[in-house]
Amino acid sequence: MTGSGTSLLADAAWLALGAAFLVVLGLAVWGVWGARSLVRREFMSFFYSPIAYAVLVVFLGCQGYIFSGTLDLLNASGPRGVEWPLQHGLSSPVFWLVFLAIPPLITMRSFAEERASGTLEMLMTSPVRDWQIVLAKFTAALAFYLVLWLPTLLYLPALLGMEVQQIHWVNQKGSILALLGALLLVGGLGLGAAGRFTGNDWGLPAVAAAALGIVSLLGGQFIAWHETGHLVEASFQLDPAPVVSTAAGLVLAGAMFLALGLFVSSLVRDQLVAAQVALAIGLVFVAGSYAGSAAEGGLGYRVAYFLSVPLHFERAFTRGVLDLGALAMYASVAIFCLYLTVRSLESRRWA
Amino acid sequence: MIQVSQLTKYYGDYAAIRDVSFEVGRQQVVGFLGPNGAGKSTTMRILAGFLTASSGKAIVAGHDVLTDPLAARASIGYMPENCPLYPEMRVAEYLDFRAGLKGLHGAASRKRVEEAMQRCWLSDVRRQLIGTLSKGYRQRVGLADTLLADPPVLILDEPTSGLDPTQIIETRKLIRQLGERHTVLVSSHILSEVEMTCDRAVIIVGGRVAAQGRLADMVPAGGRLEEFFLRLVEGTAAQPVGA
Repeated sequence: MTGSGTSLLADAAWLALGAAFLVVLGLAVWGVWGARSLVRREFMSFFYSPIAYAVLVVFLGCQGYIFSGTLDLLNASGPRGVEWPLQHGLSSPVFWLVFLAIPPLITMRSFAEERASGTLEMLMTSPVRDWQIVLAKFTAALAFYLVLWLPTLLYLPALLGMEVQQIHWVNQKGSILALLGALLLVGGLGLGAAGRFTGNDWGLPAVAAAALGIVSLLGGQFIAWHETGHLVEASFQLDPAPVVSTAAGLVLAGAMFLALGLFVSSLVRDQLVAAQVALAIGLVFVAGSYAGSAAEGGLGYRVAYFLSVPLHFERAFTRGVLDLGALAMYASVAIFCLYLTVRSLESRRWA
Repeated sequence: MIQVSQLTKYYGDYAAIRDVSFEVGRQQVVGFLGPNGAGKSTTMRILAGFLTASSGKAIVAGHDVLTDPLAARASIGYMPENCPLYPEMRVAEYLDFRAGLKGLHGAASRKRVEEAMQRCWLSDVRRQLIGTLSKGYRQRVGLADTLLADPPVLILDEPTSGLDPTQIIETRKLIRQLGERHTVLVSSHILSEVEMTCDRAVIIVGGRVAAQGRLADMVPAGGRLEEFFLRLVEGTAAQPVGA
């Protein structure tokens, strides 16, 4: 630390901000944990309705089409090719059309149906707080959204040209840690599942084990990056870093659209109206990239870039750049929409 | 157990209830009577925590519903009119979910769900989808839901509406049984039912309490509740607001 007083103050302020953020995050997690039966019910109810399956099929079909197109470009001979493979898929209007329609379809049911059928009254007379209800529904929607993207992880080995060169014995602290972490993760998940089937409440130890497992896995992997010869030595023909940044962008952008859809759903009674309004508002975040070319550097261009999600992906995330401004926008819009949803729910009591 | 004092609720300019005050003591079964639109559901919703009153006080099991809402809601088992349920869930699954919301998990939850299902004669239909159940069974699911956390206070809004005669008799029996261990506030506009299940009643007409107390005291021996009730409803403009 440099000796100047203002630097110390700045450090203290950052520390305090970080601590405050962690406290709020911890409070949110504790609240969602308290309403975990609502999270479970909401998540399962996605799979009881045919819309989820329609969404899954269309989405994965679209992804498969993009994947095969990208692979063709990568394997093409001659002066064709693609510099950033993920960019090819995530820039196409086809993808964004499908992507834009999905969060409204996922969230249209959350509050609108409960209001229409009267079950919202049952929720609001239970001993759970309003923000717990909103966060629980959001968590379930986000979990479903992640399930939507999970099968696309299968594309990665092919897309990145992964080749396994050597498999090493587990004899370095990084690899031991990573393996232990993986075992803990699987163990934690198994414990949770077993608890569900035998009726014991092993939720807390299961989640703790899984969380510890993830931390240990990531920590071991991180340590191993600084040593040679990790468990499985694989080489990638293409840079795998864009995958991480794209994933971060997708999770947070999805969270933003889901929070938006959740908010709209809490305002209307009809599911279709909720879906359409959410889609219309979502268009605001996409329109910029198809608005035609404004003068680069001009105010219009800068505003359009700031709001337009596809441009963020095209220019930053798929190239391995973590555009923190864009991520901050996604996170803040999501948090703001969730806040408005809690307010909207509260206002029902004062109607 | 329930103390309501000067409760008022305005929807815009319309006063749904005005200066409603009554008390329900421990382990009493009290009937909440009144014509349609009198404000029964509004009062019950305020007690259950779904609505907030425009003014007045409501205290349930020692907790003020405005300042201590979570503790108040935790002491209430509430069943609204038309008993809303999720038709795509199974009975046991739904009760498990509701138990989770009330803070019961794991083994304790399973035990309480079993007990509630047994008390409401639902053990045979535990794996059935709620959407395929008849009205009578659905009301029973709603009743079982109210019993899950074994709350000291039960607030039931028209628990026998839409049921057939045998189901009505069973539900009445159940409510009488529940009155031995819980404090029950039952709303109805079926007078004979209130006469059979409750010892006390609060009669609400036009948003105000018209009469309250023991049924035996309100209706003179040999008289009928129906006549008393009709007199109250018709004469409500001329009738002074009841104690």
